[in-house]
Amino acid sequence: MPGALPQLLGSLVAVVAIVAVTWALGFRRAARIESHDEARELFSLAPGGFEPVAIELDRQGRAAIARDRQGRVAVLVPHGNQFVFRLLAPGSPISAEGGVLAIRALPAVKIEPEGDARVWANTDSSDNSG
Amino acid sequence: MPFDPVAYAIPVFVALILGELLWSRLRGSHQAYEWRDTGTSLAVGLGSTIAGALTGGLTAALLVWVHGFAPLSIGWVWWAWPLCFVLDDLAYYVFHRSAHRVRWFWASHVNHHSSQHYNLSTALRQSWTGFVAASFVFRLPLALAGFEPGMILACAGINLIYQFWIHTEAVERMPRWFEAVMNTPSHHRVHHAVNARYLDRNYAGVFIIWDRMFGTFAPEDTEDRIRYGLVGQLGSFNLFYVVFHEWIGIARDVWRAPWRHKLAYLWREPGWSHDDSRETSEMIRRRWKSRTPEPNSRDRPVR
Repeated sequence: MPGALPQLLGSLVAVVAIVAVTWALGFRRAARIESHDEARELFSLAPGGFEPVAIELDRQGRAAIARDRQGRVAVLVPHGNQFVFRLLAPGSPISAEGGVLAIRALPAVKIEPEGDARVWANTDSSDNSG
Repeated sequence: MPFDPVAYAIPVFVALILGELLWSRLRGSHQAYEWRDTGTSLAVGLGSTIAGALTGGLTAALLVWVHGFAPLSIGWVWWAWPLCFVLDDLAYYVFHRSAHRVRWFWASHVNHHSSQHYNLSTALRQSWTGFVAASFVFRLPLALAGFEPGMILACAGINLIYQFWIHTEAVERMPRWFEAVMNTPSHHRVHHAVNARYLDRNYAGVFIIWDRMFGTFAPEDTEDRIRYGLVGQLGSFNLFYVVFHEWIGIARDVWRAPWRHKLAYLWREPGWSHDDSRETSEMIRRRWKSRTPEPNSRDRPVR
């Protein structure tokens, strides 16, 4: 089709330009949870709801972990400037190493809690430095 | 190639996205956009125009072929245009409802819902695989009824253009008469929400009357913060994962399922599983309702 290639190239340039403008306008901040209330709200927005009875925030607000009344454990994983809700499978390994929670199913997520990390750990790799 | 009004609208789309970006920045809505999310949306949009260019001729040929069986030919009379537009919008409603209730069609449509953001760039997350999924079948009855294929495709293009501007949080409510008849940003925010009460609601393209008529309408409740995206958020900006993940999921499920359940993974609703290990939107809604202490009327579809 005549004109298709220039049109495609023009569209590509427009895509790159808009993404650059988006970045330049500051829409590149990482997701951050400011408070337990905010985390509670984010957990409650999970499909069908998730009502935490215990929440632990990362010191930098980069993630959060929570447990509900049924003992289910869920994590808020950062994705851009939003969070993704992930419900862990029962017994999913969580370790506390150097006071930092590591979740085997979510290797990119590290949670440095303000409280005792060992409370959330369920594997033998937990240490006593939490 | 038939007349494609969408091609002429693209510069306007670009200008409006830039305008919304500036508006969001000035208003301090830091979460309205995310640069990688915008990049994915625009790349999906660009890919869909390429897919459309490759398959648009086949869709047109099919419409012409079916039109040949029409008992009467309506032709290009002026009154056929508004009639075709309204009936095409009804066909869109049926397609869109099927796209949320049948996993085969959902696999093609899901990328439109894959962003956790709701802005004008989200509107451009259009399907790459609509032709493969045979989404065109929903418009064939119009050709069989005697409408000109070129008219049907032009109406479909105008329908798609209309739907662009409703993908925004910049507009709260339109005048009451407009909200009653037309699809609006408020109605479509509900459609993109994954809050249990809003799942599978407001399928309209241009006229919201179809949802009111067929019992799938839900009004936006400003007290209930909307969460956008998918029930199981992707958590990925990868273009190809966004576009093809549900097709891959279908293939995996069909491969693993017992023989008597294999086809059900194609035609049953998203979230269905033969062993009830997953949740459909009805199951999520039921669970949510069971946890709501005092059921109220707000979660019911409103006619």
